[in-house]
Amino acid sequence: MAFRIFKKSVMMVLREKKQFTVFCLMYTILIFWTSYSIELVLKTSLYLWNASFFMALAVGIFLSLLYSWIIVRRNSRTIATLKCIGWTNSDINSLITGFILFTTFIGFFIVIEVLFHYAAFFGYIYATNPAVFGTPYYIENLPLVSLLPVFVTFIIFLFFQILAILLANRKILKVRPIVALKRVGV
Amino acid sequence: MPVDKDTMIEAIDVNKEYRRAGAIIRALADINLTIKSGEFILVQGPTGCGKSTLLNVLSGIDLPDSGKIIFDGENIARAQEARLSKLRRQKIGFVFQDFNLIPTLTAIENVAALLWPTVLREKEIENRAIAALRDVNLLERKDHYPVELSGGEKQRCGLARAIIHRPRVILADEPTGNLDPESEKQVMDLLKQINKDMETTIIVVTHRGSLASYANKIVKMDKGAIISIK
Repeated sequence: MAFRIFKKSVMMVLREKKQFTVFCLMYTILIFWTSYSIELVLKTSLYLWNASFFMALAVGIFLSLLYSWIIVRRNSRTIATLKCIGWTNSDINSLITGFILFTTFIGFFIVIEVLFHYAAFFGYIYATNPAVFGTPYYIENLPLVSLLPVFVTFIIFLFFQILAILLANRKILKVRPIVALKRVGV
Repeated sequence: MPVDKDTMIEAIDVNKEYRRAGAIIRALADINLTIKSGEFILVQGPTGCGKSTLLNVLSGIDLPDSGKIIFDGENIARAQEARLSKLRRQKIGFVFQDFNLIPTLTAIENVAALLWPTVLREKEIENRAIAALRDVNLLERKDHYPVELSGGEKQRCGLARAIIHRPRVILADEPTGNLDPESEKQVMDLLKQINKDMETTIIVVTHRGSLASYANKIVKMDKGAIISIK
């Protein structure tokens, strides 16, 4: 039953194309940024990368909470309608949890894909255009992000999503079914 | 509590007040009403007379300040939210003025959504949704999104959602408020047909006097009180 609701939430979130694409891309950039910062914190002792790491975390937590807030706010009438037709708070929580987790998972998988290809991409560009980019020095120094920082980042982001889900659950409880009976625009 | 087995809903001394801008508004004043199984009831009255509030408390969407709501033998005036959700899923169908279809779901998915959190198999849910859409003559539009449906079609889709679980009662709040006269007739004819074929109790809140011919009982309200039952 919960799995069915999760499946439906995936279907619904994919149909919210604009919102899904924007947040998925933002998560992708953030996960990449955080992983990259962790990799460089481990390899170098530059304070710059520590600052970058913490900045990525701050933006990550802000974005996760913002996404859950937007989802509940945009869907408050749907949530109220579902309550009217007999969905429990727990059913609705499963739906919203599906929205949030699926977007993060897709962001994570895109990051894995990007990590496989970005070094090759830049290597190719640099190597084929030595006149523009100079010596192969850049290729040799291009940091390859190992999977450990990516998984650490993923765990961190999963924790953020748990906070986001808790926030969403609190907001869902506050949506009263009576909202569904109010006239649109009144 | 002894309840007549034909009694579907009974409101006993129900009161409800709202606070708005510092003033107390008495939305329901000592309401006593008995609705029998299979009745088609029209609740009429001017705007702000409390008819929608009455519908809300009869369905457990809103709770009264005092009094009892006996729904199919059970007092729901003080029931927990989880119990009320179960009651609504099993015994009540809702029809909304603004249709309240989920924009990211097709017509058939909107209808089926009511049964997603149940233990029924996917195929069984789909078959029931198809049957409900067929009952409201909307099967050919099953794969259309709400934005692709006309007002009348949206309301028929809402009606299909209200009957997919074969409820004992259908509550409709101004179901024809946003419809043209032709669609209004279609929707009201369907409600009458459901009332007749499935013996479902129908309660319609409306300010339109022209719908009186569909009902076998008309409840008139004013200033939160019932002023006549015919």
